[in-house]
Amino acid sequence: MTVVSSFLVPGSPLPLVARHNPPWTELAQAFERAGEALAASKPDTIVVYSTQWIAVLDQLWQARPHLRDIHVDENWHEYGDLQFDITIDVEFAEAAIAATNDTGIKSKGVNYDKFPIDTGTIVASTMLNPANKLPLAITSNNVYHDWSMTESLGRIAADQAATLGRRIAVVGVGGLSGSYFRHDIDIAEDRIASESEDQWNRKILSLMEQGDLAALREQCPTYAAEARVDMGFKHFAFLLGAMGGTFSCAVVHGYGPLYGAGGAVVEFKR
Amino acid sequence: MHSPHWITQQGHHFLGVPHLSGKSVDPIFPNLFRYAFELNVDIELAEACCDEASRMGLTTKMMRNPNFRVDYGTITTLHMIRPQWDIPVVGISANNSPYYLTTEEGLEEMDVLGKATLNAIESTGRRAVLLASNTLCHLHFSEEPVPPEDMAQEHPHDYAGYLWDMRMIDLLRQGKIQEVFRLLPQFIDEAFAEVKSGAFTWMFSAMGYPEIPGELHGYGTVIGTGNAVMEWNLIKSGLAQEAAGAAL
Repeated sequence: MTVVSSFLVPGSPLPLVARHNPPWTELAQAFERAGEALAASKPDTIVVYSTQWIAVLDQLWQARPHLRDIHVDENWHEYGDLQFDITIDVEFAEAAIAATNDTGIKSKGVNYDKFPIDTGTIVASTMLNPANKLPLAITSNNVYHDWSMTESLGRIAADQAATLGRRIAVVGVGGLSGSYFRHDIDIAEDRIASESEDQWNRKILSLMEQGDLAALREQCPTYAAEARVDMGFKHFAFLLGAMGGTFSCAVVHGYGPLYGAGGAVVEFKR
Repeated sequence: MHSPHWITQQGHHFLGVPHLSGKSVDPIFPNLFRYAFELNVDIELAEACCDEASRMGLTTKMMRNPNFRVDYGTITTLHMIRPQWDIPVVGISANNSPYYLTTEEGLEEMDVLGKATLNAIESTGRRAVLLASNTLCHLHFSEEPVPPEDMAQEHPHDYAGYLWDMRMIDLLRQGKIQEVFRLLPQFIDEAFAEVKSGAFTWMFSAMGYPEIPGELHGYGTVIGTGNAVMEWNLIKSGLAQEAAGAAL
């Protein structure tokens, strides 16, 4: 088995930078449990697809061997710096770039000092892979790629793991429902902004727990549209592709609000 | 300076650190744009804009983190128009209200932001240049040619978008600003125009939507998007005064 574990996590920095705030504490603790599960699966490499790494030209893979810097979130700058120290599995990235191109999706690596690493990738890396113990393979969200193409990318990642003999953990970084508070709120009172979106999130998470693939495939397009899901829920498509389109059940380690939007930490079981 | 590449969800943000520096690498064109920037912020004016916009009902926030990386839209625009970097800057984020709300609702916020900016400029006694960074038609190619500088590959993404750009530029050159803003939602919808992100409306609001002709300095495409460099000179139009001692 090359894909040894799979996780869906939110990319908001709030559980990382303000975990003391009660509505965000559950997600921070969920991240910790997911991190423990990830480590227990003993992967060689963590493959990360983040909705916040926006690409519009080609499919990008991070190809710089070592990324170490400070990032300040564009929206949540008042919470301070996000430090990151990430090692890239360059061999995996190069294989993925070649394979992605072979399938007709134009792809390239980026290897530049100070290339902007997105908040979601940093949050996932910091929370799931503390102390940079494992190398990452990071790929972008090309906004013009649809669900099917994104699922293909996940499948390509899994195929390259098999080819290279890697055990990989796959992480889809992105949110659930997308309505959020546009004004200042008392963060201690944070909640899902829309009741109907909250119901949608819970329904989808329940289907994941049950491993009801057929229902998920049927419901996800409507869910994405009606609950304003982050980037059309393509982070889940990437995970599905990597898992070969199937999983038996899922553990929802945590679900909660992120300034009105929905976020969940989910572990998928094969 | 209002940039579409500093996107914020909770409010309209303003650079609020006196001196910012760093290296900006474009996430779309990292092979082409890697820039060591250094700029000074007009804190007094930025705070006045922030306070005034808040007083007028917008959610606003000052960006006080000294490690903040200024977005590449701001840097590119400032470099191209004033490479000496010798004039202090007020950097304003693009709140994504035109995308999160309806286009009209979002642009109403940008209109308020422009009025607040004007009030702040006047109350602080500043002479200010307004820079709006926005493309016109914005559908673009999704694969980069090799090499990226191959201009044989560069042309408008589609003829309809190009025609829209020409129509809007013509109106702007004639100073038919009311007509431009009447058409703006349709232009945005049909040409996927980036002016949706707000800078264009903010700028015209801060100028008071003057019916004066704009000067077209150039038009060209970037990966298929339509780009115009245009100037509205309020001094030439008699709507602002020369700086004291300025040569005519």
